Amino acid sequence: MPESIPAPLIIDTVKDTFKEARAALAKEGVKSRHDHLGWILSVPDTHQKSVLAALDKERALRVLTCSTEDEANAIAAGLWIGGEPVMVMIQHAGLYASINTLRGVAIDGRVPVFYMIGLLSRERDKDPRESRHSMVRYCEPLLDLFDVPHARLEGPNDVHRIPEYYRLSRERRGPAAVLVGLETS
Amino acid sequence: MAMKPEAILRLIAARRGDAICVPTMTTAPAWRTLAFDDLSIGCVGFMGGASSLGLGLALAHPERRVLVFDGDGSLLMQLGALATNAGAAARNFVHFLFKNNVYHTSGAQEIPGGDGVDFVMMAKGAGYREAFALHELDDLERRLPHILTAPGPLFVQLHTTLADQTPMTAGMGVPFPTQVDALHSRLIALDSVR
Repeated sequence: MPESIPAPLIIDTVKDTFKEARAALAKEGVKSRHDHLGWILSVPDTHQKSVLAALDKERALRVLTCSTEDEANAIAAGLWIGGEPVMVMIQHAGLYASINTLRGVAIDGRVPVFYMIGLLSRERDKDPRESRHSMVRYCEPLLDLFDVPHARLEGPNDVHRIPEYYRLSRERRGPAAVLVGLETS
Repeated sequence: MAMKPEAILRLIAARRGDAICVPTMTTAPAWRTLAFDDLSIGCVGFMGGASSLGLGLALAHPERRVLVFDGDGSLLMQLGALATNAGAAARNFVHFLFKNNVYHTSGAQEIPGGDGVDFVMMAKGAGYREAFALHELDDLERRLPHILTAPGPLFVQLHTTLADQTPMTAGMGVPFPTQVDALHSRLIALDSVR
């Protein structure tokens, strides 16, 4: 059965991920111009609201709230081109809303974009692909259709997928996503 | 009066210094002839994304000016970007809007609201530090030193005629991923000599 993941665990994992990313960028010759570790581009997701609340108090990560997921994709491109660690934190509905920009930026543009996508309304006792909610059910098939590698975060033991899929997005120069199964705690 | 977009871009190209520039749609063909192989990247393949792409670059490189050459039809596709851009409060961010009131590339259909859409008022309402409209090339020339140095985010609505070329007549130019690689590499190379 899936379990809720505590916000501090997610935030610590993201911080570690960005530390590793900064070290890799430094090896490429990128000089950091900022005190923080990296950027989280968010269109607020109810499913991950405990993480967003905790991020408000977090100084090591810079959060930019965007009006739309389309913007988040394009801002992520600019930050990556400019040598900054960045991730996009959205909800499945936002994925559906921004699929053309994901295609244009991350697939055709070959910009690495890492997504944390909340599966709002995912039932605890059902596989997401069998959810009675279309917004939950269609998420993984849509990612499959666009060849976006993805993994489920089904509990605290899965947070290692965050750095793994972040690295994957950089290695394959494209999109990669983790799906937050239950509402974060 | 309305300005020729090519004349505007020539003026900016001559004064931009080491600014990163982000053209899109009908500003892209002319910009390619003025400033190829430099710190520019066209927004290609995700219409409406130019100012967001520029914002990301501005946030990554606060020491460098970022100039976005947006279109009115494009901006309408991502109007919420005005609030995001203003909220990010990047002091090095300049958002030029080339306002010709039509979707030129697809055959010059009028944009929703046509000439009556007041993007300056929207930008002010969204929270840009400064927002104003210019109709004459002389005015742009006179105000350009301020535009290129004043704390942003700045919004400059430029009333223009149609461009000589569109991406359909001139071609799309260098593919977007190639531009991405080139700018990424150039910025890293510039870091190595800092």
